[in-house]
Amino acid sequence: MQPHLKRAFTILALIIIAFIFVRSLVVPESFGQYGWYRGDSVKELRNLTVNYAGSISCGEENCHENIYTVWVKDRHKTVNCETCHSPAQKHVLNAREPLTPADDSRDYCGKCHFKRISRPETFPQIDPEAHGEDLRCVYCHNPHKPWFD
Amino acid sequence: MLENLIWGYVYPNESEIQWSILIVLYPYITGLVAGAFIASSLYHVFGKKEIKPVARFALLTALSFLLVAMLPLLVHLGRPERGIEIMFTPHLTSAMSGFGYIFSFYLTIVVLEIWLSFREDIVNKALSSHGWKELLYSSLALFSFDISEKALHDDEKFARKLAIIGIPSAAFLHGYVGFIFGGIKANPWWSTPLMPIIFLMSAIVSGIALLILLYIAAMKIRKHVIDHKCLQSLAHYLWIFLILDVTLELLEIVSMKYASREDIDIINRLLSDKIGFTFYGVQLTLGIFIPFVLLLMVSLIKNRETLKLYMISISSIFVVIGVFAMRWNVVIGGQEISKSLSGTLTYVPVFYSQEGILPALIIFILPFIILLVVTSILPPWKDMEEEPS
Repeated sequence: MQPHLKRAFTILALIIIAFIFVRSLVVPESFGQYGWYRGDSVKELRNLTVNYAGSISCGEENCHENIYTVWVKDRHKTVNCETCHSPAQKHVLNAREPLTPADDSRDYCGKCHFKRISRPETFPQIDPEAHGEDLRCVYCHNPHKPWFD
Repeated sequence: MLENLIWGYVYPNESEIQWSILIVLYPYITGLVAGAFIASSLYHVFGKKEIKPVARFALLTALSFLLVAMLPLLVHLGRPERGIEIMFTPHLTSAMSGFGYIFSFYLTIVVLEIWLSFREDIVNKALSSHGWKELLYSSLALFSFDISEKALHDDEKFARKLAIIGIPSAAFLHGYVGFIFGGIKANPWWSTPLMPIIFLMSAIVSGIALLILLYIAAMKIRKHVIDHKCLQSLAHYLWIFLILDVTLELLEIVSMKYASREDIDIINRLLSDKIGFTFYGVQLTLGIFIPFVLLLMVSLIKNRETLKLYMISISSIFVVIGVFAMRWNVVIGGQEISKSLSGTLTYVPVFYSQEGILPALIIFILPFIILLVVTSILPPWKDMEEEPS
């Protein structure tokens, strides 16, 4: 083989070796341990702090039992307490830890209830420009018991 | 406003079109690469001497476009720095995971091929220049200055072998892009085994057309006479590949319409309402039918070189636009029909945004700037400016 071709192939081989070397440094060791992801991530995720306490913990211990019984029977029972009232684990462990006040803006309610063509027709939706005269939704609707008869 | 863009029933996760103009540009650019490379192979592999003036220029064009081919994908990614992960940990059940490797393999072939075909010039320049130029050309020659007849003969033999590997890899690079679309079984507009070969044919067509335009432009800028034999030969190949291209594209539509499966209603709506103009108007009429007639006339008319030059130029411009429309119709058209098969969506391009027309324009202009730089380092003009024998 001509010397210039030998040199070209040596450079090519060096590039491939460099790629394999960099790959061995960059790809985490635990990659592929359980599947197509970093095995250590399972441990890391398990050790993350728990932020959400779950709706049941709000109704327990007689803390918010009244509002809980209203909510749990009504249409918004699928929307958990912490969806509006923010993550509550710290508050459950220590009642003196305050929660962030619930977002009661029109836009927040609108995330579910503003009209979208992709939503089922039977789902309650409003045209924000035509409905409610720019008032906050909670002015008329009780979010814990939203349904009008 | 959203209501005006949507018709019928669409799924909630479809209301935003995810693959934008950048994803239209990606197969367009790789297509131009594959086409230019195959045009150069007509000389390097099949020994078509009339193509010789543009053979090396075609390789440089392929390289310039190849270097930016991955850019639309990287810009499309929200986290471009993670793009390389596809090569570090490729998931072998995904066709997409092959991209990095196929691209790198093809880039290596193109670079080697260019290096071998320009080596004599590089060594001569290294020996005749001084200072940083000497260093540049000596490095490009890998500090090996043997241009004896035997060395050049070996180079030529090796370059030919590379070009033989290059043709299937160019076909693979681009056919693979078509395969990614053709393999999406949930989308009736994409899911066809013909897709890779349709992509490949339109790639060759667009590559040859681009090469014709660049050749004419280069000769006009350098104020040199155009080798009409070479130009008409390119036009002839353009015409042949155009026939193959139109046959496959029509075959796909005709078989879709004839088979009339459950998705035909939405396909008909797509073709009449959504992409009617870009499909029938731009892709088929402007991009295929008019060039087809013009190029047919070029091969029938005797003499009248200037008229033929205009006809070939116009055909090439139309082909390049038509193939872009084809990519648009595939990528955008496929996303404008809902997977429910009973609704359509509308893609509205924006100008200033990461996924907008502006970055697409910048990416498309880049290869021409790269070509300008590459041709100033490795001028292919000698081949073009030799008196036609």
